[in-house]
Amino acid sequence: MGFLAPAFLFGAVAVAVPLYLHLLRRSASRPQPFSSLMFFELRQQQVAQRRRLRHWLLLALRLAIIALLALAFAQPYFDRAIAGMVPAKRLLVAIDDSFSMRAAGRLEAAKRGALTLLDSRRAVDRAQILSSGGQVHILTPPTRDSRALRAAVEGIAATDTRGSFATLARAVAALASGEHAPVELHFFSDMQKSAMPQVMAETALGPNVTLVLHAVGAAAPNWAVESVNVPSQVWDPRTARVQAVIAGYDTPAATRTVSFSIGGKTIATRRVEVPASGRAQVGIDSLPLPYGFSRGTVTIDGADELRADDEYRFSIERVERQRGLFVHQAADTRSGVYFSAAVNAAAGNPVALDDIATDRLANVDPGQYAFVVICDVASLPPTFVARLNAYVSRGGSVLVAVGTAAAQLRSLPFSAVSILGVHPYSREPERFASVGTADRALPVSGALEEWEGVRFYYAATLDERGAHVGLRLQDGTPLLLEKPSGEGRVMLFASGFDNLTNDLPLHPVFVAFVERLARYLSGGNPESSSRRVDDLLQLRNAQETGIGVEITDPSGRRALSLQASASDRTYPLERAGFYEVHLANGRHDLVAVNPDRRESDLTPLSAEALALWRGGSRAPVPAGAASVVAETGVMHASLWWYAMLVLLIAALAESFVGAGHLGTLRDEP
Amino acid sequence: MSRFLDPSVLAGLSGLDLVARTVVDGFVAGLHRSADFGFSQEFAEYRAYAPGDDLRHVDWNVFARTERMYLKRYQGETNSLLTLLLDASNSMQFASHAVSKLNYARYMAAAISYLAIRKQRDAAGLLVFDDCVREFIRPSTRPGQLQRLLAGLELAEPRARTRFDLPMQHLLALLRRRGIIIVFSDFYETAESVIRAIEPLRFRGNEVVLFHILDPGEVAPEVGAGALLVDLETGARIEVTGDFAASEYRRRIAAHIEALREGARRAGMSYQLLVTDRPLDAALREYLAIRQGRP
Repeated sequence: MGFLAPAFLFGAVAVAVPLYLHLLRRSASRPQPFSSLMFFELRQQQVAQRRRLRHWLLLALRLAIIALLALAFAQPYFDRAIAGMVPAKRLLVAIDDSFSMRAAGRLEAAKRGALTLLDSRRAVDRAQILSSGGQVHILTPPTRDSRALRAAVEGIAATDTRGSFATLARAVAALASGEHAPVELHFFSDMQKSAMPQVMAETALGPNVTLVLHAVGAAAPNWAVESVNVPSQVWDPRTARVQAVIAGYDTPAATRTVSFSIGGKTIATRRVEVPASGRAQVGIDSLPLPYGFSRGTVTIDGADELRADDEYRFSIERVERQRGLFVHQAADTRSGVYFSAAVNAAAGNPVALDDIATDRLANVDPGQYAFVVICDVASLPPTFVARLNAYVSRGGSVLVAVGTAAAQLRSLPFSAVSILGVHPYSREPERFASVGTADRALPVSGALEEWEGVRFYYAATLDERGAHVGLRLQDGTPLLLEKPSGEGRVMLFASGFDNLTNDLPLHPVFVAFVERLARYLSGGNPESSSRRVDDLLQLRNAQETGIGVEITDPSGRRALSLQASASDRTYPLERAGFYEVHLANGRHDLVAVNPDRRESDLTPLSAEALALWRGGSRAPVPAGAASVVAETGVMHASLWWYAMLVLLIAALAESFVGAGHLGTLRDEP
Repeated sequence: MSRFLDPSVLAGLSGLDLVARTVVDGFVAGLHRSADFGFSQEFAEYRAYAPGDDLRHVDWNVFARTERMYLKRYQGETNSLLTLLLDASNSMQFASHAVSKLNYARYMAAAISYLAIRKQRDAAGLLVFDDCVREFIRPSTRPGQLQRLLAGLELAEPRARTRFDLPMQHLLALLRRRGIIIVFSDFYETAESVIRAIEPLRFRGNEVVLFHILDPGEVAPEVGAGALLVDLETGARIEVTGDFAASEYRRRIAAHIEALREGARRAGMSYQLLVTDRPLDAALREYLAIRQGRP
């Protein structure tokens, strides 16, 4: 016997109340003197004894009422085995619809098994259909309606998401938590090993859930295009290099044919030797790209069960080579060299940098450039400053490096950023400062680890009010800031690029940093446009609320409602394919989304792992698809309503006995 | 003046003599000189002399003519020897209101003594008993007798339990003349034993009056849903339920009263139930009725 809510048993302590009323309060009554008891003798004693007995009966009834009430709330039950009869239970029929179920015949086998199970279930059992992939979808409420259940099963289609047994377990535990009847989870899946979480405890289903696993499919060799490395933007198609990794899972060594396509047109075919259960790399060095976004695919002749992973999508944008303006003082010849070298070293960097000293700026129009870098300049021609202000207010981007010369100013000439002071670290005991924090929300910042070893000997202290700080030195001094100005953006670097105020130009991070700067300032996407299914696509930041966002999904339909397009900050990428995105910052993008390639590994869980997941379940493991497990004969027989019945009887008896006591107060006529 | 017959009013008076005088004066004033209860010295009858009779009442003229001694009796003088028997057992101290049974009996006894001695010129005596005779004041008309009686009543404190046989036997030995014997008691014994104990007094030619004094709380006890009662005489305890007290007890006490009344009637005794929340005139009327030879 057990209790579903044993905490209510503590309510039984309320029996102390009638005990107190009957025993303590009664005994507290004072004796009352009387002339003679001759008319109360014998028979009166018997009556009193009978009354006392009635008191005890009343007390017992009241104690029983309270105890039964607590018992009923605790929901007692006992396990009862009835031969040939199984108690009504709730069947949770979950069908794996993850990407791997696209393998030939797997989803169909799972659905057939589920239908067979539904047909063979008893009429008293309620069933509920779930689909389980990256997320769990509840397709029906608990019902005995076979037609609704069958329709839900037949309507399940394979998705591109990655399976997660932990997600299923959490959902089932939540569903079963409020269920009093026994719950039986029938899970139809290919039992992919990659879907099992690292910690088995995450797959706990709850105490009242019996897990019955129905494995469909088996281990099968599978080749897949695991990844494709391609720049998101190129300006010269002849330098666009595409590298693809072909992986084999449980495969023999084989030669696979790899096709590269752009816009649906195969532009190159390569043959690659893929070792047994290994990986091989193959690529092409040029792409005949038109201007704008192009949809590319890398395809292999898989000849395996899972054909959906034989293709990998990527997007690439061909842009005009943009020009950047690098302004420095005439005496500073070092900064331009380092910065230009870094720009040119960046792979596929579509930026040509014009290096101009301040004495030749009179006739330069910043509007001709994608971005402007002003490196440690103490003064600028007023006409250039006016053009620069207009340029920024119209949406231009400027990077200002504040070196030793610029730090002489109180504020920058074309922005409201104040220079509060300088930090000559080389004169301090530490001699230099390092980068202390990096905020990845500012894409230019990069990872903190990249900045390891970079020494800053000098930095200006800039007013960071209203600015987004991407990098800080160890003492908290802001190193890299972004401050919106008009429609454009102004980035501030609190040191120089001359290899004197710091040794940044000598570190590898300098090239990556400059590349990210160039892309960011020129409005390019610093990140690859290839995503995985289940990734979240960021649509806007906190400052971009109310601006419309448009997403066209792979089927060509708008993915967002009007309300969602104005308010949603992220969008879950649930399908593989190409998404056309118009972001809140005005950028257009073509996002290629591919299924998680861990789904390509069709290796199932070992029998030991399955047994471990089932835990103490007595249900046997079905062999093969469409197996139905015999039902166990143990049921939780609830006793609460018996307790309530006895409680009702006790309450009625208490009413009668109590009424007898009340009757003693009536005078005889 | 009738309010002075109210026991609760009398309880506020100090001294039994004042109580007695107040009661009797109030009672007499309320009689309106009734013919039934007059106090004149009109001739009533002759009675043969018996040893112990006062020789002052012998009609010597008749003796001279007939050589027989007769006593000349007047109205109000047909019985002249009054003995009051007061039950002073513990049960008599019970009170559910201002006046206990014992005090009520004291008031009654004092009033009757006053009435007898001061108004009727009767000899009055007192016997206080519980399970034995505790005090006996021989009936007399001597000066100061009333004060002695009142003092005896004052000193009669409740004690012990009631027994009728021993005190009655003792009284039989003490009484030499016939007279009126008034018993004040709650008679908490069976009616048969009470009558059996008192009946011999009647056989001696005495007029016996039983004043059955009960508290209203005894006639109709209120114990609520139930109570633990303690016997004042024995100390025994018993748990009593309200329904029994309201039904069975009342029936049994009524049966007891009726048995006493019937037993007294059969024995030729007068019986009067006095409930202590009632005025005292009923007892006085009873006395006077007997005093005039009317039942």
